[in-house]
Amino acid sequence: MSKSLITRRDFLRSISDSARHSLVVLSLPSIALATQQARAAQNAGRNLVNLNSNEAAELEAIAARIMPTDETPGAREAGVIYFMDNVLGEERSEVLPALRKGLSDLQAVANARFGSDLLNSLSDADLDTLLAEIEDSSFFGTVRYLTIAGMFTNPVHGGNQEEIGWQLIGFEDNHAWSPPFGYYDAEYMETGE
Amino acid sequence: MAQAEFSPGEEVDFVVVGSGAAGGIVARELAMAGLKVVVLEQGPYLQLADYTHDEWLINENEELAWGPKKGHPQTFRKYEHETAQVMDDDPLTYAHNVGGSSHHFSGNFWRFRPIDFMERSVLGEIPGTNFADWPISYDELEPYYTKVDWEIGLSGLQGPWDPPRSRDYPLPPLPVKSSGVLLERAAKALGLTAYPEPHAILSQPFNGRAGCIHCGFCLGYACEVGAKSSTATAMIPQALASGNCELRPMSTVARVETNDSGRVTEVVYWDENGVIHSQKAKAAVLCANGAETPRLLLLSESSQFPDGLANGSGMVGKNLMFNGATSTAGMFEHPINAHKSVPTTRVIHDFYSIDPSLGFYGGGGIDERHLARGLPMAFAMQRSRFSGRSWGSEFKNQLAHEFTHACSFSGHTTSLPLSTNNVTLDPTVRDKWGRPALRTTYMDHPDDLATMKFFVDRAEELMEAIGGTNIHSRWDEEGQTGGAHLLGTCRMGDDPDSSVVDRYNRAHDVPNLFMVDGSSLVTGGRGQPTMTIMALAFRAADHMIQAAGRGEI
Repeated sequence: MSKSLITRRDFLRSISDSARHSLVVLSLPSIALATQQARAAQNAGRNLVNLNSNEAAELEAIAARIMPTDETPGAREAGVIYFMDNVLGEERSEVLPALRKGLSDLQAVANARFGSDLLNSLSDADLDTLLAEIEDSSFFGTVRYLTIAGMFTNPVHGGNQEEIGWQLIGFEDNHAWSPPFGYYDAEYMETGE
Repeated sequence: MAQAEFSPGEEVDFVVVGSGAAGGIVARELAMAGLKVVVLEQGPYLQLADYTHDEWLINENEELAWGPKKGHPQTFRKYEHETAQVMDDDPLTYAHNVGGSSHHFSGNFWRFRPIDFMERSVLGEIPGTNFADWPISYDELEPYYTKVDWEIGLSGLQGPWDPPRSRDYPLPPLPVKSSGVLLERAAKALGLTAYPEPHAILSQPFNGRAGCIHCGFCLGYACEVGAKSSTATAMIPQALASGNCELRPMSTVARVETNDSGRVTEVVYWDENGVIHSQKAKAAVLCANGAETPRLLLLSESSQFPDGLANGSGMVGKNLMFNGATSTAGMFEHPINAHKSVPTTRVIHDFYSIDPSLGFYGGGGIDERHLARGLPMAFAMQRSRFSGRSWGSEFKNQLAHEFTHACSFSGHTTSLPLSTNNVTLDPTVRDKWGRPALRTTYMDHPDDLATMKFFVDRAEELMEAIGGTNIHSRWDEEGQTGGAHLLGTCRMGDDPDSSVVDRYNRAHDVPNLFMVDGSSLVTGGRGQPTMTIMALAFRAADHMIQAAGRGEI
């Protein structure tokens, strides 16, 4: 996944309400169903398949700075790392080599700067400093993409456990709603304007 | 009645290529008139159980289906002197499944107005463009707009500037959302008028189908209760039930074959397994959309048609129009929850035609939306629309507030037809079938860019008028690099030297070939073309049936 891809999608999303991105292609349903079933089985055991435990701990440390645990739960509680592990074996397997390279590059910087090549052992402030320096890089863009995706995905893919991400922003996949939908249309129902 | 079955060697009356907004209607009309029809659709026939709200699969992994990874690359460039590049996301977006993009649209169904059909006469020439009148008037199309209303199923309310209609909408409009209330209040404050957005979505049960349950997953998703009036829901089942129509999904057309007298004899296609077949027919109707229809004509060149089939005018593939799109975001004090229900419920059409004295051509409408189609992942993927860093605690807390408290006022605008905006066959890149990839060359006309800017300015004024905060606009200032409205590439006209199909959608150069889809449009309207594509399809089918009755296909 190139940085340009992320950036372009990012922009398209922002105008997506209008024409450009309104018509999205459905995945082949048989693939979707098989993926979901496999994911369900995999998530039950919470085993890492594509990342080793060290890689997972390091990527999770970065994810936890992108979506930190503060007054509300973050990437760790949402199980973002399991989502990453899942999709890095399939839908995003092509980015895994670059991700590994980017991780080891960042670890080398950490070692030179702070005397430890374990991102997981750095203070939040030190890790934030490192990440701020590379926030325009393809590596950071990819980790951010996967963190956000894992935070807000349908839980069947391993992230957004117990719908933590959805609860954070006030989204519910309710499948059916009835009016009023929000504050202003409730008011409108009463006053007619 | 079970769907018909024909052998490829058996000459049917019509073979229809594509089963989307136009193809679904043409197939249904022809079949119900007793004509024998085979429909070739390159995508699958999805069933209810295949529909899902899974954003990761549907939105983020679209390339699993039909992008470059799946063997369907497209190339793009802005100008003809450049070499077009393969894009990560295909620049021309359309759905590959029975029902086509009508299965995935959000069903904003604005009629074109009388001015759209004769704007060249009213405004005069726009130098350097192919701006032209349509060969038909609004009055000629009106009965077919009404047919769309009632046959497909529309919800709406006649607005103050809407063109005259011969019959009311069958269903009342969908309930207003908070974002629609805000747009309506903003309009009032500025002396403008917002009125209910017409939808090809059922507000109540109709024709044996359920009404909308407001789940919020319209754009990009197939409707799980069948309330969205896609042709897969409203037309195809009736076509098949007629006993006169056979639908062949996963069938990709390679060429349209012609004989020495320049008539179509058969349509050649690959089935799912790559086996090639050839369907004989008295006539062919291409409804493959404004990208695939011209591509197929160009692929069907022969010694008799060296520049592509039906391309004596040289206009096949040219005049590509996307419509312009803008988005102006704002934050509000109370929850809006724009992710619930249909994307938009109010529209402002006061700027349908911009005052020509401003020095540029254009016009459009403004409606209200969620910032990211109400999709949680897509919303959070954006760099913050408002301010600050796109990661960390502050960003996370912004998301938590913004998802429910923000909305967008969105502009939908005109595109001018230009010869230099076109689809052609890429000279080097090929798709999985070995066909040259679609190559798009596109740069918005300066007037189109000025129009988008005009709508951004109006949307920001509306946001300010209603007390929106953190107002922030986005639009393609450097020109759009893709589109979902694929219009103008086989334009309709009376003159065979400057148009591809006649006023009844019949190819000027090939007597038993018809093209009906977004490619027929002479001008692109104000940003919501599917209503007009469907009306043209009903009208064209009517004339095909009459012609068949006279033995003239």
